Amino acid sequence: MSKEGKIRGGLAGKILRVDLSTGKIWTEASSGYAERTLGGRGTNSLIMLNEIEPGTGWSDPGNLLCFGAGSLVGTAAPGACRTDISTINVFSGGKGSANVGGSWGAELKYAGFDHIVIRGKADRPVYLFVTDGRAEIRDASWLWGKTTYETENLLRQELGDERVEIAAIGPAGENRVRGSAILIDTAKAAGGSGVGCVMGDKKLKAIVVRGRGKIQVFDPRGFMEAVARAHRQCEANRVKVDSMRQSGAARFENLDFEAWETCMVIRNGQDDYWDRGKRAQLMNPEAGIPSMRRKVRACFSCPTGCMPFMEKAQGKYPEMKGEGFWINALWSVARFDISDPETAVAFWLLANELGLDTDYVAAGLAWVFECYEKGYIGPKETDGLELTWGNGEALIHLMHKLAHREGIGNLLADGMVEAAKKIGQGSEYYLIHLKGQPSIEPFRIPKGWGLGVSTSPVAGRHLRGAIRGPVHSGPSGTDYDITHYSNQAKAVVWQAKTKELEDNLGICNYVGTWSGAHFLTLENFAELVRTAMGLPVTEEDLMDHYAVIGRNLEKAFNTLHTNLSREDDLPPQRFRREEVKTGSYKGFKADEDQYNAMLDQFYELWGWDQKSGMQTRESLEKVGLKDVADKLAGKGLIGK
Amino acid sequence: MTRIVRRADRCYGCKTCQLVCSLHHTGCFWPERSSIQVFRNPQTGVVRWRIDETCDRCGREEPPLCVKYCSYQALHKVADPNQEERQRE
Repeated sequence: MSKEGKIRGGLAGKILRVDLSTGKIWTEASSGYAERTLGGRGTNSLIMLNEIEPGTGWSDPGNLLCFGAGSLVGTAAPGACRTDISTINVFSGGKGSANVGGSWGAELKYAGFDHIVIRGKADRPVYLFVTDGRAEIRDASWLWGKTTYETENLLRQELGDERVEIAAIGPAGENRVRGSAILIDTAKAAGGSGVGCVMGDKKLKAIVVRGRGKIQVFDPRGFMEAVARAHRQCEANRVKVDSMRQSGAARFENLDFEAWETCMVIRNGQDDYWDRGKRAQLMNPEAGIPSMRRKVRACFSCPTGCMPFMEKAQGKYPEMKGEGFWINALWSVARFDISDPETAVAFWLLANELGLDTDYVAAGLAWVFECYEKGYIGPKETDGLELTWGNGEALIHLMHKLAHREGIGNLLADGMVEAAKKIGQGSEYYLIHLKGQPSIEPFRIPKGWGLGVSTSPVAGRHLRGAIRGPVHSGPSGTDYDITHYSNQAKAVVWQAKTKELEDNLGICNYVGTWSGAHFLTLENFAELVRTAMGLPVTEEDLMDHYAVIGRNLEKAFNTLHTNLSREDDLPPQRFRREEVKTGSYKGFKADEDQYNAMLDQFYELWGWDQKSGMQTRESLEKVGLKDVADKLAGKGLIGK
Repeated sequence: MTRIVRRADRCYGCKTCQLVCSLHHTGCFWPERSSIQVFRNPQTGVVRWRIDETCDRCGREEPPLCVKYCSYQALHKVADPNQEERQRE
């Protein structure tokens, strides 16, 4: 039975299509797609599945780079600011997706578009200027080589309009460094899957949007009542709101905060416990990270606000400042055993300037440091850089080399898996990656977190089902002690499904259902969809229909485009073999049998074949995806 | 007479005020037709906020939408002595 109905609000109404090879620009209606998927990432996934031929590589002109603002973006729905960027994942060859906040998505919708779908490749650097129902491909040779900060300043000057919103790549993306990000107004990174690398490969430096139009909702009065209720829902979590507003990282100023104990990976996975003295040095109120936090900023229409604005004076590195410093920076530097706060802030802001994904840098380069420690590479290969644990200046140097493909940077830019093949000597074992993408995630202590990351369809990352404790509206009958294996899968599937909805609607996970924050509930989502989009949906419709469609579209893309198997849904080998060496979780590891048991439960909950993890006709037809089932069956790629 | 004022130290730059103001004027989310304009510079952290003469304090709506929906308690409706003065003149 179809749950789908006619959408009567929320959308801008059009998809902008651009072929960079031919220069052709055209539009089509977005509502037909959104009625099937709920919009945003779901629509990006559907377009990719329909239009990219199996066998297409990420660098082929046939690869699409799809930008999709969520269906509620541009309205006053709390936290509705997110844009999904989907393309072929440069690491896995399957589905790639990165999600980003800011005001860019809202501006795109005011310009009349829900999506931009880019195919082909330009023969010289270009940028795309999108405004009020129109688009133009313009020369960007004068911007090529510039950082994201410089690019934004130059474009604003050139266009003479401070209201333009800009999505740009830095030198890393231009140089096709695999782990490159797309930066929204220099501070919010769409980091994963190598989306910036694909943009650079298409020679697209930036997309500038400016919209003077409007977004209509189906029932404005009912919608604003739903918004007010959602705001009250945030207020009811006052302690957590305050914690976000003091900046997302504020909780880590408490050196006893449990995530310090359960979610850190040190020295590239040699241990999962980090010395308390080092934590204290990093988070010292007078001289540590908090001392460089000037204020906090919020994304478009966000009631919580979690983006610290950092200002770092001249020191070991040049003076730097910028918005959007996030807790991943702590994980990242701990991975190198770096407790110097100046390096932590410089690492983050430099990654934004160069257009590098911080996870790729942290996980990939920590592996390079370990290769140096073990003697697989030496000063000759590193141009004299001493890649010893704790050496922050070496890390910052190496980031410049990576982004500009200088020296060893050229080897690392083509992906760490490729680099490991070249370095050899057993170094491959120490490279922590999922489906090819370097990963900063913990697996040995938090099991539900590990399962969410390892089963992510976009090659790792923790926002596709990883859980870090109870969610107030989460499923009952599950065990929220993250150190247990039992009953974790149910909560992981729940978290993955709510993220599907959030990415379709464009609501930030941190305002939504993320287990560390969880302000809004599914009831809020359903009410916002009913009043904004005019779809008469229940919470069950959202979870059992739309969320299931989204995940299955990505899964089907992976099945058709890659050879990924059940083994690729397990944690990296190192965490299965080596135990945590110190701290209160000493002796913990990712037990393979137990992870496999969680995986059985996980596949079963999705209705997939338990043994192979493949989708079944029944599970697909239940949500109206008969065409997808036929496509998979035609290639003999359907489970039993 | 009254007017809307912003406490800059409390403002996070989320633009919700701009949005709900446009809803009051047009029945849609239409930032271009709002009495409030918010400009942000992510490289300096500066948020500039401007309200123009089209603001009618939302007529009979109490509190005005921008005040009601500001999650940061940055906006307030205050008595405007200057405008009262002008009224008397």
